Amino acid sequence: MNATTEIRYSEIHKFFNRRHLLNRLSLSLEGGTATLLSGENGAGKTTLLRILSGLEKPSECRVDFTPGEPGSNPQPWSQCRRRLQRQVMYLHQQPYMFDGSVVHNLALALPRTMPRLQRGKKIRQALEWAQLEALKEAAAKTLSGGEKQRVSLARAWLRQSRILLLDEPIANMDRESQVRTVALLRRFKNARAALMISSHNHEVFCQLIDRRLVLDSGKLSPAQAPLLPGNVTPLARDGAPSGNAGNASR
Amino acid sequence: MDLFEATAQALVLLAVFDPALWEIIGISFRVSLTAICIAIPPALLAAFLLAHLEFPGRRVLISLFNTLLSLPAVVIGLTVYLMLSRQGPLGDWQLLFTRSAMVIAQIMLAFPILVSMSHAAFQAADQRAWETARTLGIPSPQAFVMVVGEVRFGLLAAVLAGFGRIIAEVGASMMVGGNILHFTRNIPTAIALETSMGNFAQGIALGIVLLIIAFALNLSLQYFQGRGKLSL
Amino acid sequence: MEIFIRRCAAVGVALAVLLAVHISAQQAHGGGKLVRLATTTSTDNSGLIDHLAPQFERDTGYSLQVIAVGTGKALQLGKRGDVDVILVHAPTSEARFVADGHGVHRHVVMENDFIVVGPRDDPAKLGGAKSAADAFARLVKGKSRAVKFVSRGDDSGTHKKEMTLWRDAGVEPAWSGRFEVGQGMGKSLQIAEELQAYLLIDRGTWIFLRDQTTLEVVFQGDPSLGNPYGVIAVSPKRAPVNFGGAKAFIDWLTSKRGQRAIGDYTVAGTRLFTPMAGH
Repeated sequence: MNATTEIRYSEIHKFFNRRHLLNRLSLSLEGGTATLLSGENGAGKTTLLRILSGLEKPSECRVDFTPGEPGSNPQPWSQCRRRLQRQVMYLHQQPYMFDGSVVHNLALALPRTMPRLQRGKKIRQALEWAQLEALKEAAAKTLSGGEKQRVSLARAWLRQSRILLLDEPIANMDRESQVRTVALLRRFKNARAALMISSHNHEVFCQLIDRRLVLDSGKLSPAQAPLLPGNVTPLARDGAPSGNAGNASR
Repeated sequence: MDLFEATAQALVLLAVFDPALWEIIGISFRVSLTAICIAIPPALLAAFLLAHLEFPGRRVLISLFNTLLSLPAVVIGLTVYLMLSRQGPLGDWQLLFTRSAMVIAQIMLAFPILVSMSHAAFQAADQRAWETARTLGIPSPQAFVMVVGEVRFGLLAAVLAGFGRIIAEVGASMMVGGNILHFTRNIPTAIALETSMGNFAQGIALGIVLLIIAFALNLSLQYFQGRGKLSL
Repeated sequence: MEIFIRRCAAVGVALAVLLAVHISAQQAHGGGKLVRLATTTSTDNSGLIDHLAPQFERDTGYSLQVIAVGTGKALQLGKRGDVDVILVHAPTSEARFVADGHGVHRHVVMENDFIVVGPRDDPAKLGGAKSAADAFARLVKGKSRAVKFVSRGDDSGTHKKEMTLWRDAGVEPAWSGRFEVGQGMGKSLQIAEELQAYLLIDRGTWIFLRDQTTLEVVFQGDPSLGNPYGVIAVSPKRAPVNFGGAKAFIDWLTSKRGQRAIGDYTVAGTRLFTPMAGH
């Protein structure tokens, strides 16, 4: 697998409620790979994803947008928060729909300067991509959880997001919606996007994911016993103790 | 004069479009609508920042605005009077006893209630709305407009409550407007004056107008709050 | 929906611009042709000012704005330079106002008198009093619970007069049947009506409002009940007032035309104020 590293985080640290929720973690996200993030409730999975996407402030974190390239230099999180928000797409567990139709919600993902004709074409493509044609005039707030998730993915598709972080994307969804969501995620992966999915439901994703990381007591480690051998290949580098990773990146 | 007689006369005054009466009503609306329109944009921005931005002193500021809610109007009137008086810091503007002075006082009256209630609306708003807008690459000003749109019913309730407070307010208007006929005499100060002169019919007629306004505001408030719940 | 908000914002901006225009227009307007008069509720509530203002405006081209407050507040507004001219009835305070340099060109322009009104059955027997001091002494003499007195209690000219009368009668004003209401003349009359209490009132307001009450005049005519009104221009040395306008108002009020206008004003055939400029 000739993966290209899209982004690299190091020294991820979050001190919260008098404990080290995230304790000096390092993490790389690579194009065309999917990572499953598991861990107990309250282990900090959501916090981690929100820090990675620039939505929640960490106690400390450094971000390298061009890892491996000569002259690349990790920047403090606080200096690249806007860039993270723009480049790293975080999808809420329950996607937020703005008042208005599905089409209106999709249009929000397009640049305002885009000419009208081109907008229409793009939105038609997105509707087709996410199989939402039948719902295009529906009020987005009234959609089911699965349909909202598809709108949300279609917005990410329109944004041409290279890095997607999904927080429990299939929780409380019926089986058919789960399958359709995973199918859309696969198309992102085939388009060489980097995916990171937090979920308790490993089984549904077994065909999709390349590695599985477990977040426990503030540390990130490769899953000891992959539930589904063959598809899950932990990349030792990311799970390594932070001290080493931190030193290596300096 | 008994109550029924005064009320009957009041209804006649309203029905025949008594010009003196309608001039006063016009002044009331002109002043209060101007005040609320000027107060809304900064109040919304302040409420939004208070709801979404973490900074030291934020909680103190929120408490401060909630406290200002219960400040009597005459205290604001007195403050504005002392500011605008010729010997006050803004005396050179020569605004005392003008409609502009009333507008200023009413802005100050409406501001805390607008901030406090819109802050509650923004807090009730889903944090995901702002985050989703940002992850979709929408610049902050437009994202702000979008969040405002999402909580528009809550904000409308705030605006109506603010307007209700200033249209019926007498103390500050009397102090900084001076209750000058054809000029700064609005509904509440006119009621105070007519009552003191024993012209109860005029007073009741104006009271009826205020009642109708209050009723219309409350009705629309109910409507918008109902809509707000449905749209969640 | 965004369009809706943008429209709201546009309306808001438009209104803000309107206000700015409004303010500047007012300032232009207030530049020289606007005269601000602070006067007592007695001249305004009695309708006299509404009678005089149009004639003054027609004769001089100035436009008059009237702020009706108690005498104390009117003097206060003058001290702060918030009005250009004051018309009040408290000779002692007026003299001090001028002596302290707050005002110039003080003239006594008219007079009416104070009267005491009270319940028809007159429980304190004021009807038989020989002087104002005697009348005020009779109020407390019987220590009767039926005897009540409503005081303006607002530092107005009437209130100042009342305090003088208590002093002349040798009565401590803080007796149990005396209620300080802190209201204007008309409102105080209504309260006196409800309480069936005695009240010191100026004759102008009384004639104007007497139809609304069951109270009757119980004492009048004593020389110490005179009620002269003085007009004073606020000194231009302390605040940027419209001194020219104030002067024009005083000149007009003390002129033959102004004096005749005061004398012409009648309510139900009764003259309320006696012109007395030049006395």
